[in-house]
Amino acid sequence: MKRYFNIIILFIISFLLWSTSIYAKVDIGGELTTSLINIIDNEGKISPYLQESLDLELFLPTLNNTQAKFEIYLFNNPMSRGFDYLIKKLYLKHKFEKLHLTIGRQPISWSFGSMLNPVDFTLGAIVAEEETLAKFQNALEIYVPLDWSTSLSLVAALPENSEEIKWGLRGRTNLEGYDLTLNYVREPEIDFMGTVLPASQRIGFTVKGDLGPIGVYGALGYYFEDNEDGDLAYLIGGDYSYFFEAGNKIYFQLEYLSIKKDNLSTILGPFFAGNITNNLNENIGLILGMANYEIDEFSQINLMAISSLNDGSIILIPGYRNQLSNNLSLNLSAAIYFGKEDTLFGANVSEGVQPKPKGMISIGLTYSF
Amino acid sequence: MQKIKGFLLIGIVILFLFSNLTVISATELTAEEIIKKRDDNEYFDSVKIEAEMIIVSGGRKIIKTMVALSDKKNSFVEFTNPHDRGTKFLKREDNLWMFFPDAEEIIKISGHMLNQGMMGSDFSYQDIMESDKLTDLYNFKIIGEEEIEGRLCYVLEGVAREGVKVSYYRRVTWIDKERFIGLKEELYAQSGKLLKETKTNEIQEIEGRWIPVDSVMENKLRKNTYTGFKITLIEFNPEIPEGTFSLQNLR
Repeated sequence: MKRYFNIIILFIISFLLWSTSIYAKVDIGGELTTSLINIIDNEGKISPYLQESLDLELFLPTLNNTQAKFEIYLFNNPMSRGFDYLIKKLYLKHKFEKLHLTIGRQPISWSFGSMLNPVDFTLGAIVAEEETLAKFQNALEIYVPLDWSTSLSLVAALPENSEEIKWGLRGRTNLEGYDLTLNYVREPEIDFMGTVLPASQRIGFTVKGDLGPIGVYGALGYYFEDNEDGDLAYLIGGDYSYFFEAGNKIYFQLEYLSIKKDNLSTILGPFFAGNITNNLNENIGLILGMANYEIDEFSQINLMAISSLNDGSIILIPGYRNQLSNNLSLNLSAAIYFGKEDTLFGANVSEGVQPKPKGMISIGLTYSF
Repeated sequence: MQKIKGFLLIGIVILFLFSNLTVISATELTAEEIIKKRDDNEYFDSVKIEAEMIIVSGGRKIIKTMVALSDKKNSFVEFTNPHDRGTKFLKREDNLWMFFPDAEEIIKISGHMLNQGMMGSDFSYQDIMESDKLTDLYNFKIIGEEEIEGRLCYVLEGVAREGVKVSYYRRVTWIDKERFIGLKEELYAQSGKLLKETKTNEIQEIEGRWIPVDSVMENKLRKNTYTGFKITLIEFNPEIPEGTFSLQNLR
């Protein structure tokens, strides 16, 4: 079924493209990025490599409330030393009078403005404001708007590593200026040997709004466990802007996440695969901070930090972005890990565990078209 | 949120565009009457605008293009230039929502971010959301008459009414005596510091209204930086489909 899923969607989009091209404009856009990435190992040795990627999107006209999307990500794979690709979007969306139906490969995430999200449809889909590949799913989504801000969404997805269907249900509304969501996810589980495990289930609640001059948000998640009490996770956060006399602005965001260590790896995603191999029942407290300073209209500098309150290990992620022209931007970023051996973000010494780099520095240019 | 660089032109509509006035014979008018004539022209059932925003800083210039729909309380804006294509904003009274096209997510924007420059421009979100009538926000008085680009103007000073929340404590406005268009405006902080200055470069008569189609806002706190705003298409009272100003329409 999964094998043919994308092919069928591609066929339908091709048909739409062919049938509409004579009278409708089809546009192509995207981003071309080239980056020099330097990996720093624990001995301080730097291994540089070039990463090129092309994010290509077809902008197809909407016809009779039907919209088609196609976006492909082409990149050179340093592992295979060849070019690889990933289909990000290949879907059809039709807006019926009472509901929107989307079928195909599509991004699904239930972000609400936090840097980490313990109650997303796919945990780890967004990490520190960066999307991961976990976000893109072969899925069917039914979106039912009830009024201008209230809606229900039902998602049935086909995960890459499972023949079972993953289900999700989300309600969203706006109450007194607060954005509220409530969701439920039932997800098939397979262990590393390929054995099918009982499906995991979780429910989540999020809120976002303002308390005076401070933006506030929070999430509460409950992860059901078989034959025992479930696990509770919660996140609280806030953001604030300060304006200098010269008109420049600095933006702060701070949040705290409490979660069982066993559930942390998926939320941190592939970017921050820390040492989560022991004491899996331990509760972890993570604190995330971000400061973003606008130097001028076109450039900004930022610093993000993620730290485990349990062991004091930390990741620092500084960055610099400059929009050089209408379509060209320069990006500098780094990630540096600090911590003792076998701490969450420190160097690992466990046998059989792939050594984690000490840090990474990247410089890249992106051209939008 | 770094991607939050968006924005709304309806504000621009409100800031400059609808400083237009009908042509009347100017007898001796009070400050209230002058501003009311300007205010009266700012309110309309709905408008659709296509525009470009030109952000200039130092020797660099970046152009953002957008399409916007607005009624008296709500606005919907979509950016169309390659770098920001598909970025959408929805303003419902005092709440702002943003759609990120890559992630296809809708996020509610924190209130304090309304004071930041939109799309890196000198216009803030708050500039746009201040859609109340000026006479409800400020006490105006006439402080003189001056010529701007050969046009005789009333010069009015508005000071924020007590207890009213405004972005600028004081504003000085030059209003064309014949066409009742704002040709220039200075916006001040409570400390007396000049924050921003807007000027109208070009005016066209469209559907019986005098519309400033080319305006510029200068942030006086920064050097060598300003934002131009050019209207390429404007349509008054277009038919706005039901559900336009909703989260579902952001998707």
